[in-house]
Amino acid sequence: MSISSVLKATVLAFTVAAGASVHAQGAPINAAAFDALVAQGPVADAATIASNKWASKIKQADTLRLGATQTSNLFSMLNEKDGKIRGFDAGLAQMLTRYILGDGSKYKFTQVTSSTREQVLINDQVDMVLATYSITPARAEKISFAGPYYSSQAGVLVKSNNKAIQSYNDLAGKRTATQAGSTGPAILAQFAPKAVVQEFQTHQEALDALRQGRVEAYVTDYTLLLNVLSQGTGEAQLAGAPFGPQDPYGIGLPKGSDGVAFVNAFLKKIQADGTWAKLWTVSIGQRTGSTNVPTPPAIQ
Amino acid sequence: MSRALEDVLFGDLTHKAQAITRVVSVGVAAALLALIAAIVYRFQDAGQFAGRLWEFFAWETTWVFLGKGLLGTLASAAAAAVIALVLGLVLLVGRLSRLRIARWPAVAVIEFLRGVPTLLLIYVCFLVLPSVGIKLSAYWMLTLPVGLSTAAVVAEVYRAGVLAVPRGQTDAARALGLSKAQVFASIVFPQAFRYIVPALVAQLVIVVKDTTFGYVVTYGELMQNAKVLIANYRSLVPVYLVVAVLYCLVNYAISRASHRLGRPVY
Amino acid sequence: MGSVSPLLAEYGPAFVQALLLTWKLTALSFVSGFALGIVITVARLLPLRPLRFVLTLYVEVFRNIPSVALLIFIVFALPDLNVVIDYEPSVILTLCLVCSAFTADYLRTGINTVDGGQIDAARSLGMQPMTIITSVVLPQALRSVVQPMTSLLIALMLSTALASQVPLPGKELTALVAKIANDSAAGIAAFAVAAAMYLASGLIIAWAGATLDRKVRILR
Repeated sequence: MSISSVLKATVLAFTVAAGASVHAQGAPINAAAFDALVAQGPVADAATIASNKWASKIKQADTLRLGATQTSNLFSMLNEKDGKIRGFDAGLAQMLTRYILGDGSKYKFTQVTSSTREQVLINDQVDMVLATYSITPARAEKISFAGPYYSSQAGVLVKSNNKAIQSYNDLAGKRTATQAGSTGPAILAQFAPKAVVQEFQTHQEALDALRQGRVEAYVTDYTLLLNVLSQGTGEAQLAGAPFGPQDPYGIGLPKGSDGVAFVNAFLKKIQADGTWAKLWTVSIGQRTGSTNVPTPPAIQ
Repeated sequence: MSRALEDVLFGDLTHKAQAITRVVSVGVAAALLALIAAIVYRFQDAGQFAGRLWEFFAWETTWVFLGKGLLGTLASAAAAAVIALVLGLVLLVGRLSRLRIARWPAVAVIEFLRGVPTLLLIYVCFLVLPSVGIKLSAYWMLTLPVGLSTAAVVAEVYRAGVLAVPRGQTDAARALGLSKAQVFASIVFPQAFRYIVPALVAQLVIVVKDTTFGYVVTYGELMQNAKVLIANYRSLVPVYLVVAVLYCLVNYAISRASHRLGRPVY
Repeated sequence: MGSVSPLLAEYGPAFVQALLLTWKLTALSFVSGFALGIVITVARLLPLRPLRFVLTLYVEVFRNIPSVALLIFIVFALPDLNVVIDYEPSVILTLCLVCSAFTADYLRTGINTVDGGQIDAARSLGMQPMTIITSVVLPQALRSVVQPMTSLLIALMLSTALASQVPLPGKELTALVAKIANDSAAGIAAFAVAAAMYLASGLIIAWAGATLDRKVRILR
């Protein structure tokens, strides 16, 4: 009897015994609508691509090397059953791939975290990074940003039964999680300097730390926190309103690359023809119960 | 033929002692079962037997997905092992050489690679090398440091094997007129190799273990795919448990091969 | 390598702290792992089949599991089983478990070097098995495994690098190098300093081990 069949039998036994219920990831994304939206995105003409070095290189390789994540519920989540990644960031990336190569699935995925995002661009491991990537001056010294394509602020997440922390003002002396290499540490240094900061490599690890009581609060991008709330387990709540400076998300590109102009032109295009709004609705709006489509930020 | 120490220590017990042993054995077995029960209870208490945490393991797609991760692990481990075996041989030849100009660099390289953590070498490939223009793919940023690190240890293992070949054989071969190179290649090394296969296989296990650092350089292997499953199904304990068992099974299978080939050499 | 001096000026104290933390983690893990390994080895000698089976399983598991996987399990998965261990103890626990498994393995080989005839002689003198283990077998076994245990200690010190994967309040050497490489351009210099520290520590341990081995080694 092979190991895997023994394991499967055991698991099935547990499943039957425990009366399994289908686990929903909050409201799952409407896969059909998402795929359809990507499939009817614009395709650039040959001249536009030829005049841009970054796009031409991708066209020649016939693959766009993408740095992104597979584990962000609203923005970029891998469904390992059909092997497709869907979400707001994923949609933009696939539409951009389609824009250059005519087919939204011709990308090669590399998993990045908040602490590896710059390095993979510097190392030329990827052509671009689309991963809730906040534009900051410090990062702009190492790489270039296109966009912004979205805007957010910081938020504080606490457990539902936590009455002690009402906002970022109450974080003094409290164990607070944030993501290493994200804007979190800087924001905490500015707005809650007395917080005891613990830096985690991924969003999921920070969430688990909060759930397990290792930390009392989690400070990160407000939209990522919406992710958590959209899962509807009721375990966590936001403490206070979004705070801090406006946090623009950009698309990471190699330093000085002319891809910046190319991608900006693409972003303006999909904002103008309503595709951006449709993508937001499918990936974020419908799943968090918001109907107010935000206006996309202005691109310089 | 030496008897196992346990048998000598506890062989021919008196009837009374045997009875005590049986009673204590039963007691120990009961204690262990109680321990297992306590663990199972803890799982249950923490809600870890909930269906939703395990049901996806019944789907083939989950195992295919994990299998892909495992392939990534093995692909890196295989190449690293080859690098280690070949480079280790080069370092060995340098190490054994009479010429100082070959020996000293070999010793320096071996001591350096053995004395520095593999994870540190991985960070160097990922963070430092690119700043001097050396840009490797994720696969090589994992495989190269692991291969180099292991090569140094393998060189020392080779050396232990070579030193274990009786001197008399070398002398006899030289007396027959074989050149030093011929002696090494046809007489010493093949025998040394047979002595040290268990130790080499042990290094292979270490190589597989080192590939778990793949996520540091964004190389996709088993740990990374595990994290996707965790995020998708919010099932932490079951996924990590299954992945840990998978690693143990793979490594155990590899080291089993060495048990058939005699006692391990340090 | 002119960037080493300004690097040391700025990060000198941080490097010293990191080195001390590395040594601290190494020492605590080794002492606990070594002690646990001895207990396991002795327990495995007892003629209790269930115990031997479980302990053999223990040794196989902790020899074959990747340390990082074990650490991540302890830090991130155990809390879901209501066992929350702080980060530094988690690292020490991980290394202790792995060290104990390898110690048990090496010690068992060491024990097998003790001649059966000695045990027979001790038995015929009326010594109890446990006394034989503690006064005849173990001392000789320990004296014969100094060399592999030295290698294990060095390997353990290098393994403390995995503490960089969890949010420890302090940074050990590898975490410090990663941070410096990320924040500044002094990556190579930082790596050189850390490498020198690891190498020096390893050489000291190796020298101490060789000296101890020479003193206590049993020539047969």
